[in-house]
Amino acid sequence: MELAGTDFLRGTLKTIVLNLLADRRRMYGYEITQAVKEKTKGDLVLTFGALYPVLHKLEQEGLVLTESEEVDGRLRKYYSLTPTGSETAIQKFAEFEHFITVMRTLLQPPPQPSIG
Amino acid sequence: MEKLTPRQITSLHDHLLRLGLAPALVDELLDHLACELEQRLQEGLSPETALNQTLSEADGGAVRHLQETYRRELTLSDAELEQASLDDIVFQFRNKAYGAYDLRRSYPQALRESILLGVSLFVSFLFLIQTPGPATRLTLLSLLIWTVFTQTHLGRSSVRALRNAWPLP
Repeated sequence: MELAGTDFLRGTLKTIVLNLLADRRRMYGYEITQAVKEKTKGDLVLTFGALYPVLHKLEQEGLVLTESEEVDGRLRKYYSLTPTGSETAIQKFAEFEHFITVMRTLLQPPPQPSIG
Repeated sequence: MEKLTPRQITSLHDHLLRLGLAPALVDELLDHLACELEQRLQEGLSPETALNQTLSEADGGAVRHLQETYRRELTLSDAELEQASLDDIVFQFRNKAYGAYDLRRSYPQALRESILLGVSLFVSFLFLIQTPGPATRLTLLSLLIWTVFTQTHLGRSSVRALRNAWPLP
């Protein structure tokens, strides 16, 4: 199933990025796309078109900090969480879990009434 | 891992500039494409094929999609615009961490403090040369010191630094 372009992904991108950064402390853009690809065994592929706007938005909101370093003749921009970012990562993860539970109860077929 | 040659990096860079990518994204996308190119070279593709594949993936359509998403995501919403200062709007798509944003934001305060300080220095100076007697001069001087250390940011922060460095019981 191709998940890359779906609506689910758009709503959860921030949650994904924040929680990856919470695990790995400091990452650059390409590294994030590779981490997502590896963790999901290729089910989820982030395109640069989806990733960088979210990263910059998180920066604008003060949830991540950036540092640029020169690597092999080009600039690499590393992202890491701010204290608010760490809190938001936990909060978004909890919200997402709650959402999954709610969706499951909503979409599950109702139990057959048993005659007894 | 094999490093990219400056020429390969330049051709990626030129490609992005040709597509009209926003300056805020160029460096980052250059690194992204360079990583992809390195990955392809590592997989054993010839330099030419690898470069062509990387460039065709980042074609006009993909870059346009990126720019559109970027605009949509980073534009301030109506609610945010109501609250935003002129600086927020000016710096909407610019690097705030660089320093200019903070400087502009603290400018009104800096201006207020420097006027206050300038006027009080000037007035004190006038009084000092006009009034005889050490008692008046001492009063004026202490008034001036009080103004500096309690009314200006510079003064307050130095008091705080002093307190931290030399804790009083």
